Formats: sequence, structure tokens, C-alpha cells
Amino acid sequence: MTAAPSPLLVAEGVTRRFGARGLFTRARPVQAVTDVWLSLGRGETVGLVGESGSGKSTLGRMLLGLLPPSEGQVWFDGVDLARATPAERRALRRRMQIVFQDPHSSLDPRRTIGAQIADGPTIHALVPPAERRARVEGLLGQVGLAPSHADRYPHEFSGGQRQRIGIARALATNPEFLVADEPVSALDVSVQAQVLALLADLRSRFGLALLFISHDLAVVRSLCDRVVVLYLGRVMESGPVAQVLEAPRHPYTQALLSAAPSLEASRRRTRILLQGDPPSPSAPPSGCVFRTRCPVAMPACAETVPALVDGVACLRVG
Amino acid sequence: MRLRPAPVAAVAAIAVLAVAVPILPLDNPTRMEIAHRFAAPSAAHWLGQDEYGRDVLTRLLWGARVSLSVAAASAGIACVLGILLGLVGGFLRGIVEVLTVRSMDVVLCFPPLLLALLVVTLLGPGAGTLIPVLAVLYLPGFVRVVYAGVLTVRSQDYVEAVRALGAGPVRIMGRTILPNIAGPVLVQFSLAAASAVVLESGLSFLGLGVVPPAPSWGLMIGAARATMTQSPLLLLWPCAALTLTILAMNALCDALRDAVDPHGVPARRRGAVRLPALLPGLVPTRGPALEVRNLTVAIDTPAGVIHPVRDVSLAVGAGETLAIVGESGSGKSLTGLAVLGLLPPIARVVQGAAWVEGQEVLRLPEPARRKLRGGAIAMIFQDPLSSLNPVHRIGDQIHEALLAHARRGGERLRQRVVALLTRVGIPDPAARARAYPHELSGGMRQRAMIAMAIANDPRVLIADEPTTALDVTIQAQVLTLLGDLRRERGMGVVFITHSLPVVAEIADRVAVMYAGEIVEQGPAATVFAKPLHPYTSALLASAPHEDGSLPDGIPGIVPLPHELPPGCAFAPRCRHRIPDCDAQRPALVETGEGHTSRCLRWREFA
Repeated sequence: MTAAPSPLLVAEGVTRRFGARGLFTRARPVQAVTDVWLSLGRGETVGLVGESGSGKSTLGRMLLGLLPPSEGQVWFDGVDLARATPAERRALRRRMQIVFQDPHSSLDPRRTIGAQIADGPTIHALVPPAERRARVEGLLGQVGLAPSHADRYPHEFSGGQRQRIGIARALATNPEFLVADEPVSALDVSVQAQVLALLADLRSRFGLALLFISHDLAVVRSLCDRVVVLYLGRVMESGPVAQVLEAPRHPYTQALLSAAPSLEASRRRTRILLQGDPPSPSAPPSGCVFRTRCPVAMPACAETVPALVDGVACLRVG
Repeated sequence: MRLRPAPVAAVAAIAVLAVAVPILPLDNPTRMEIAHRFAAPSAAHWLGQDEYGRDVLTRLLWGARVSLSVAAASAGIACVLGILLGLVGGFLRGIVEVLTVRSMDVVLCFPPLLLALLVVTLLGPGAGTLIPVLAVLYLPGFVRVVYAGVLTVRSQDYVEAVRALGAGPVRIMGRTILPNIAGPVLVQFSLAAASAVVLESGLSFLGLGVVPPAPSWGLMIGAARATMTQSPLLLLWPCAALTLTILAMNALCDALRDAVDPHGVPARRRGAVRLPALLPGLVPTRGPALEVRNLTVAIDTPAGVIHPVRDVSLAVGAGETLAIVGESGSGKSLTGLAVLGLLPPIARVVQGAAWVEGQEVLRLPEPARRKLRGGAIAMIFQDPLSSLNPVHRIGDQIHEALLAHARRGGERLRQRVVALLTRVGIPDPAARARAYPHELSGGMRQRAMIAMAIANDPRVLIADEPTTALDVTIQAQVLTLLGDLRRERGMGVVFITHSLPVVAEIADRVAVMYAGEIVEQGPAATVFAKPLHPYTSALLASAPHEDGSLPDGIPGIVPLPHELPPGCAFAPRCRHRIPDCDAQRPALVETGEGHTSRCLRWREFA
């Protein structure tokens, strides 16, 4: 086998702090993401799994360059996002896009959806003005909506349809990398399946690299090649979907899997009920951040931050 | 964009009059006829003549020209500058914000009338001085309104989306943010313009505005006040003109605000309708904790009456969990709210009955119902942050719930609060009782909500999506807690959810709702193993598969309540549709022991 093709996107030790260092406030800075290493190949789908406050949305926005990392670098196709010139950055914007969770706040209520889908091609001058309308109608068709929908306003659509519109807007610039931030969690289950199928179809048709952010392991299982499990801003476990979700090694992944309710009685394993809530990201525990809720924690867990070895960050493993 | 015509016509008429004054066949507004001072209205002088014998109508129209141009110019200047400063300050933040928004706060420190007096005294009176003075006075208002709007809008996902598309700041501010704050800015404009008309009149009245003998409404009011006893009508005309103009301007701005909002205006509610009395002899069947029979809820909309809940019958026994499962718009939440008598004001129960431990509740007068709520029947909601009162400590809120149903308060109730918090698994309960809702995590808030709900030992607990907003590890904790409480207290639980896996985990029986109707009801195990309605099977197939294959969605969308198909509501999306399905609405038929289905072809699935 020849050398693997260079990945499209590489994150090297990215960390993000939200400092509350205002003129009159001196709150403790919140460390939302700590030292994450990640790479994403062309056409690959990686699932980013974690509970609220795990930093998964922050990480997604750093990978898109919408939020600068406090430490570490993000490379997109060999360009360091932080050091890109304004012209480079503009060009990169076209190549990476985002789909949001909330279908109600992600569309501008005051503009027709056709105008919103046309924004990307207009900003990047991708199509001449005369062909814009045709481009919008083509995109609407690709996400399963009618061309005549272009003249309507967002409130005239259901949640699932809005999510399709959000996807059409993201695809309008022909991106190579798409971050989908919980794109189906706000949708009904019958519609959720439609949107997942659409994403899977578009991904293979356009060769998209997809970062799929979700808290729902079952959804990740059906769509992703690899999965990264975050807890309090740190990677707990990562690896191929089949390996991580079928034979989880990190106690957090195990607890997460066992906590998910299941339709099939046979899959309801003995539940590992985690005690308490995740700690606040402004005061994370010393050592392993999961140790305060970990059923198998030992004294050493408070001492050292476990390194990610072979896809697992746990002193108990290996 | 549809604009209501009446306010537009009114303001247009006033503006046209003011503009056309010089070409109208009118007198010179300053020509005096001392001989005819205080003359009553006549054919030549429709509104009479003033203290110098000048024609009142002429002066009124010329005065409108002055008053309106001062008002429009000053409000317009303030509006444009305010939008610029507020947008830039709110969007760019940092030092720009200090320069634009904070500097405006300084202007707010001066009493407006004093500032106006000061400037006019320094620069001399006249319309030319008034415009910049009034503009400066109204500027901070506009900056504030725009700034607050920008702060709200800029955090919306759609702003992030255009940023991700590569839009620059000017495009984001102009194309995306500005249209979304247009409503409040227009309202502010109407307030400022109306207030400028009044302030101009006031300053002219004081002799600091328009200089006599030029006509102005303020001067006219001032002059008429002096001669009020001789000719009260002279006071009426300018005051009426002032009032009508301001009303018209406000109406126009409201119309504009509605017109730029693509959502349209919400409907208003009509009078309450009484539920017909229960037929004699109608009693619950088995004496369950809660029984609902033939419940129908109606909502009046501009498009006519819709029935988001139709003919719903269900029962839950003591210690039993019934799950109502359905997608958004299925009517599952309204069913729960109707039983508690907590329907939103636009909705009402038009048919059916509900018994809690044998007592009919839908026909109870409100005071008796209030006793019931939080007593025999309690409810928990999806979002505990919005259903707990943010300004009271959670211990006090639970205490309140206890007090509403106890004879007297005292130390024993306080102890019960702590005992309840302990029971729902809140660590350090005595200290947490003193916490405010925002100081607790989502899971802890939901536990506090549950503590409040079970405070008076309810017989029935209605839980509306109680774990939907929670993380999966916290959801597991709350589901376990609810299961334990149900067992140890023998409560009947109605669990409203959209999540089939959650139903499979906790429910004894399940009722599947679609477009306002129950389409299938039965023991959870049977329904999940062998669904007898195509919607239930389709719903099960659209849950993510455990084997990793992509789930099947259901094509199409739920029909809107006012566009229901004539036959089976699910027929347009159903794979098993036959012509009979569209002919008539299928009835709910008993298919087995405690199992019902609303499908004509259920036998083929059995």
C-alpha cells in the first residue's frame, strides 16, 4: 500500500478557553476544549459524541475557523486557519460549511429561503446573477423540496423542511467539509430518518468530509466511520464506530452506551448508572476529568491526566 | 408585504396637505383682519378667525407644514444616526461599543427639556435650531433600541450561518441584522416623531421654538390659551390636529411593523364555551386512577375551528405507566394539559369527560380544579428552567406547593421539603433548598420539579417529555427515579414522549397518537412486538437501528389540523393504503385483550 493521502483537516492539540476577563469581572475562565488531536480525510465521516458542556460544538466551530483556538492549530488542506491571509480565509470559507441544530433559529425569518440559499454563491461569485435562481432551484430539488418553495419564508415550513433548507444553504458553495451540529436532534423521529438519509446520500454524492456532532449514539452508529467521545472538553475514546460502540473500553463510553434507552430488550444490558452531574467546565477535577463520576476510579486517577493511548484515555485500560 | 390601507391613507393625506399648502387657494397665514377678531366659523373662514383676525384653517395647515417637517426631520436624522451607531456598536463591540453606545448614555443624563432650553437660548429660536436639538434628544433612544436588538439577533444561528458562508461585516449588518430589528426601530420612530410634534408645540408655546408670526400648532395653542374664555374653539382646532396626527403616525408605524414581519398577526380568542353536562349514568369503567373518554379539544383560528385532539380515550391504573407517544403536532401535550385544565387560552375542551379516582374533572369549577392540581393530579414539564419560578428559592417553591394543599404551615412542612429533596436524590438537600433554579444543573432542576409534583402524594402524575432536554446519562437517572416513585407510591403515570426507546424502557401500556387521534393502544410489549397500525410500524422503523443501518423515514409530513384528509389521517403517508382508507375515517377497533387499532387492515398485520 502506498502512503495514505494527506487528510483534508487536521487539528493539532487545539484548546479553547473562554476568558471572563472583563473590565469589572474576574470570573474563572472556562476551558471548553482541551488538547484535542483529530484528523479527517476527504469523504470521511467522523462522529463527535458528548453530553452538553462537553465542548463538541466549540470544537466544531474551531475546525471551521469560526472560533480561533487559544492553543494549537487547525490545518485545512495544508493551510493553517489562524495564519491564513484574508483572501485565503475567504476562499476557505467557501470550502467548509455548517448545518445547525435548531431549525428555527438557523434561518433568517425576514428573508425568503431562496435569497438565503443564494447568499453563498453570491458572496463567492460562483454563478452569474442570471443563473442564481436556477442554482437555488437545483439545490432545493437535491434536498427534496420544490423549486417554487424558493419564494417562501422560513415560518411556512416544518422543522424537517427547514433542516433541508439549512442543508441546501450549506451545499450551495460546493463545500468539501461539512460540520453538522446535532442536525437531527430537534426533529421528530420519522423526519430524523429522512434527514439522515439525505445527509448520507449527499455525502457520498459530493464526497463530503463530514463532522457529525451528536449526543445520540444510535444516530452516530448509522452514519459515521469513526467516532470521537468527548467529556468535559477532553477526548475519552476514539476509533472506528464498530470498535468503539460495540466494544467500548473507556468507562465513560461504557456508561454512555448503557444509559441510552433501547427498543430491543436484548440490548438492554445491565445499566451503569452514573452518579451526579458532570462537573462545571470552569472547575474541572484534577487528573482524569471523568474520575468524579467514574465507577472504577482509583486514587491514581486524581494524580495524572491519562494520555490518549491507542484510542483510549484511561489509566485502567492497557 | 401587505400594508393595512387605512393608516397609510391617513398619514398620506396629512402629508399631502402639508406639502400642498402653498398651492392651495388659501389666505396668507399672517394677514390680519383686526376687525374680525374671534369671528365664528363662516363660509369664507371655515374654522373662524383668531385674535388678530387671521384665518384659522390657513394657519392650521401652514402650522402642520412646520410641525411635521420639524418632527419628521428630527426623528429621521435621529433614526438614521441611531441605526448606524447602534449597529456598529452592537456588532463590533469592544472599543467601538464604548464610543458609540456608552457615549449616548451621557446625553441621557441631561433632562431633555433643559437641554433644549439651553441650546435654544444659546443659538436663538427657530425651526432650524429645533431640528438638530430634537435629533440629539432622540438619538440615544434609537441607539439603545438598535443596540439591544443587535445583541439579541447576533447570537442567532442564522447570523453564524452567513458568517460561515463568508459574508463580511457590512453585509451581515445590512442584510441580516437590520431587517430583523426593523420592528422595534419603527415603533421607536413613531414614538419619536409623535413626541417631536408635541415637544415642538411645547417649545413654541414657551416662545423657544418657531418665531411668531410664522404659524405653528404650539404657537396657536399658546395664543388660544390666553383667550380661552372668549373663544374656546380656537384651542380645539390645533389640539385636534395634534392628536389626530399623532394617532395616525402611531397607527402607520404599527401597520409597518406588522407588514415587515412575514409571520402575520396572531389570532385572538373569542368568548368561552361551556361544555355540555354529562349524560346521567356515565361513570368510569374500572375505577382507574385516571380515565379520559372521548376528549376533543378545539382551537379557533382565522382559518376556522380546528380540532387538534379528537375523540381520545385512555385509562391509567394505580401504579401503572401509560406512555402517550407521538410526533410534534400529534396532540399528545394538549391531551395532558386538557385533563389538568391548563389549556392555553385559545384552546377549549368541546367534548368528553375525564375522571380522577372516579371524580369528573373537566366540568369542575375552577376553584375545585385548582385544589385538584398539585393535589390528586400533578404535572412535570420538559423544561424545568421555564417551569420553575426563577426568582424564588426551590425550597420555597416546594413549600408553596405543600402549603397550597395543607391546613397550616410550620416547621413540619419545612422538614417535608428537605425530605422530598432527599427522596428525589438531590445531594445536600438542606443547602440546595436555598438555591435558585439557575444555580442547579438541568438534571437537578428536573429532580426539584419532580419533588414539587409529588409533594402532595398525587394519584396521577402527568409527565410531559420530562427527559427530552436532559443528557442521556441524566435521563437514565430521572427515568429510574420516576419508576421507583411510581412503584413505592402507587401513582398512575402518564408519560408523554416522542422517544420510542424511552417508551420501551418504562411503559406498561402505550397509546400512539397521530394528527390528534389515538391510532393504536395496548400493552407496550405487544404493541412493540406486533404493531397493528402502519403508523406504529413506520415509527418503529424510523428509530435508529441498533445494527448501524440507516433507518427508514416516513415520507411526507403530518397533515395540518385544518387540512386533514377525509378518511384515515395517516393514509397519505401509508404504504398499505387502499381506496377504502380515503372513503371514511376508520374507527378504533378492539383487536385483542386491551389492544385497539384505528386501521381498516389491522387483521392483515396480526
